[in-house]
Amino acid sequence: MNMVTLGNLSQAAAFAAALLAMLLLLLGLARNDLRSIEAGRRALAAVALFTTMAAFALSRLFLTDNFQVEYVASYSDRALPLFYKATSFWAGQKGSLLFWAWVLSLYIALVVRNTRNETRRRNTPYIYLVLASIVAFFLLLLNTVSSPFTLLPFTPPDGQGLNPMLQNPGMIFHPPTLFLGYIGFTIPFAYAVAAMISGRLDPDWLRKTRRWNILSWIFLTIGIILGGQWAYVELGWGGFWAWDPVENASFIPWLVSTAFIHTAIIQERRNIMRVWNMVLIVLTFLTCIFGTYLVRSGVLQSVHDFGATGLGGFFLVFLVVTGIGSLILIAESYSQLRTDHSLESLLSRESTFLFNNVILLAIAFSTLFGTIFPLISEMVTGKKLTVGEPFFNQVNTPLFLLLLLLTGLCPLIGWRRASIDNLKKNFLLPASLALAGGLVLFVLGVRTFYPLAAFSLAVFVSATILLEFAAGARARKRLTGESLLLALPRVLWRLRRRYGGYVVHFGMVLMVIGITGSTAFKQEKEATLRQGQAMTIGDYQLRYTGFRSFQDRNRTVYAATLGVTRNGRPAGEMTTERRYYINAEQPTTEVSLRISAREDLYLTMPMIGRNNEITLRAAVNPLLVWGWVGGGLMVLGGIMTIIPSRRQKRRTT
Amino acid sequence: MKKNTQKTLLALLLILGGVGFLIMKGVSDTGVYYRTVAEIIEDGLPRQRGVRVSGSVLPGTIDYDQQRLLLRFTVRDTEQEDKTMQVLYRGVRPDAFREEAEVILEGRLDGAGQTFVAETLLAKCPSKYESEVRRQ
Repeated sequence: MNMVTLGNLSQAAAFAAALLAMLLLLLGLARNDLRSIEAGRRALAAVALFTTMAAFALSRLFLTDNFQVEYVASYSDRALPLFYKATSFWAGQKGSLLFWAWVLSLYIALVVRNTRNETRRRNTPYIYLVLASIVAFFLLLLNTVSSPFTLLPFTPPDGQGLNPMLQNPGMIFHPPTLFLGYIGFTIPFAYAVAAMISGRLDPDWLRKTRRWNILSWIFLTIGIILGGQWAYVELGWGGFWAWDPVENASFIPWLVSTAFIHTAIIQERRNIMRVWNMVLIVLTFLTCIFGTYLVRSGVLQSVHDFGATGLGGFFLVFLVVTGIGSLILIAESYSQLRTDHSLESLLSRESTFLFNNVILLAIAFSTLFGTIFPLISEMVTGKKLTVGEPFFNQVNTPLFLLLLLLTGLCPLIGWRRASIDNLKKNFLLPASLALAGGLVLFVLGVRTFYPLAAFSLAVFVSATILLEFAAGARARKRLTGESLLLALPRVLWRLRRRYGGYVVHFGMVLMVIGITGSTAFKQEKEATLRQGQAMTIGDYQLRYTGFRSFQDRNRTVYAATLGVTRNGRPAGEMTTERRYYINAEQPTTEVSLRISAREDLYLTMPMIGRNNEITLRAAVNPLLVWGWVGGGLMVLGGIMTIIPSRRQKRRTT
Repeated sequence: MKKNTQKTLLALLLILGGVGFLIMKGVSDTGVYYRTVAEIIEDGLPRQRGVRVSGSVLPGTIDYDQQRLLLRFTVRDTEQEDKTMQVLYRGVRPDAFREEAEVILEGRLDGAGQTFVAETLLAKCPSKYESEVRRQ
């Protein structure tokens, strides 16, 4: 069968199945007819089958170089390595949209399977209905304005190729992991909305969706980190985060969902903050869609600019409808959601969660504000005023430090109401360690406030986490008589839900160290060298020793070799490249990195002169590697918290 | 209202106030005006604040000293083609930077008011990789 036909038909069938599911579910709800709801459930599951077929068709078209398909012709060519051909699937927005619909329908199929015995419950049909409507929206776009199976009126001899900067392993996994995260939040959102429509407002929806939330959060985290990593090793400007609108678009839902994950714990334990949590999950979903809108609409300038695609309007309508609808629902169920008991004391663990939420949302708000500021200022004052990186750094740095402080305070403060004496006792060791750490750094010559504060707080938080670990291990030792060395890993595994959280926090501490080190103490230098000449940066001396050029697959490569010495001692060679891809007008610079626990030496060659004299851009980024390690720990800790235990089925707490 | 709730509310208000202040201060410290080349020539520039200008590179005006990393060129207003302004940029010439390329500059006028000294230079080449605003 012709893959284009298969793709078009499957896409259409998926849309039809989603509509059918909506219809059957509505009928079933109106007539209270279980059979109709069951039929709707099956139709909804069928969507996944059809989108999988469409995804298969698009992959085949890429792998067989069918350049009559406009999307394939725009993002692939014959010389492209097979791996990148397969992943060109999501290189552009039409394929991304199909990918989105595909993953969403797979997620839905999973929900549909897990709830197969729960169709009698009051909220289940509504969950299906919300999910069916959302997937139908994406399928509508695919079938009308943004089909990846659109044909060109002719068949070009070769495709235009994949943007060379996207030909990087990190870039291949960055978009899909972000998508997996974005899309994942659809499920808890659907549960929350269904709870409100059906009036089943018990915390059941929260418990059922806890894993979805955390899993989506993990994917978002991986996606954001991979994006930063890609920017760092591929873009060649020496940094990993630039507060670009699209970066922000992924960061805002991350912040909101982080807030939600924290207060969801409070609701589970104490059954308070129920309205707040509804608001947060709705906000999480809306910011995910808003992120997509920002990327797709072309309203803001960005490195990721996909050009105005005409999809912006659709997303805006979807956003407004969903936003207003959710707001009405929350308002209507407000009286049932609100609880009588509130926080018992300002000095309680609950209240640290509340403040953590406020700060996370404040960072999300300031980031959103800065991102759309050019639009606001033009609307309000008529003058085009814009803010960039300095704004975000200036506003968010103190907020992040406050957040870090809370991360350390939280485990020191007991639930409900903590006593001052207790606090003093818990506080003494971490606080004095932090102070000592700060003092040492001050003596060593760190005299600026923010880095000093960040490093001291890092010590503080690490100490509180270590104390928690030690306390857990000691408690288990008392209980079982095991040695501490054995008790520690066992208690971590036993109570992984709790300790996983601490691992995430420790990952964040390392990330703060990496970010602070590499931004506050960064050194940068540019120089033009003839062969034999050298430049110095930090402890390093770089001598230009050799130049060569060669042909490699779909590119011509020019490479310069540099002899590196550190503090006068030889420290090996580095090679930095400029690559000219056959299908691209612009060359790309290949970053050369020398990573150590202490600092990264970062080299690019932005220019080669007529006589092979090279312009070199060098940077020393202290401690940056710890940021990546921290990111890895955050992901690991997240995974720890969702590994199910055998006993969990019987126990709910 | 319970005393605790009051205290909590007070603390929250303090935080929100602080955040509001941070944002306001952030905007006034770091805000950058968009201006067209024509507007700068006619009105001059606000002294205190940085300015972001976009325009295109006038053909035949590019002068790049690779040894000293000095780039001089003339930028032309995107609409009024007779309005031009001299630019000085200290740094590496971006890959996408060429004649007719669209550029976004951030910086301020020099003391004499003749040359625009750019601190950042983004070039966008009018090709299929239009999307790729290279950071330089």
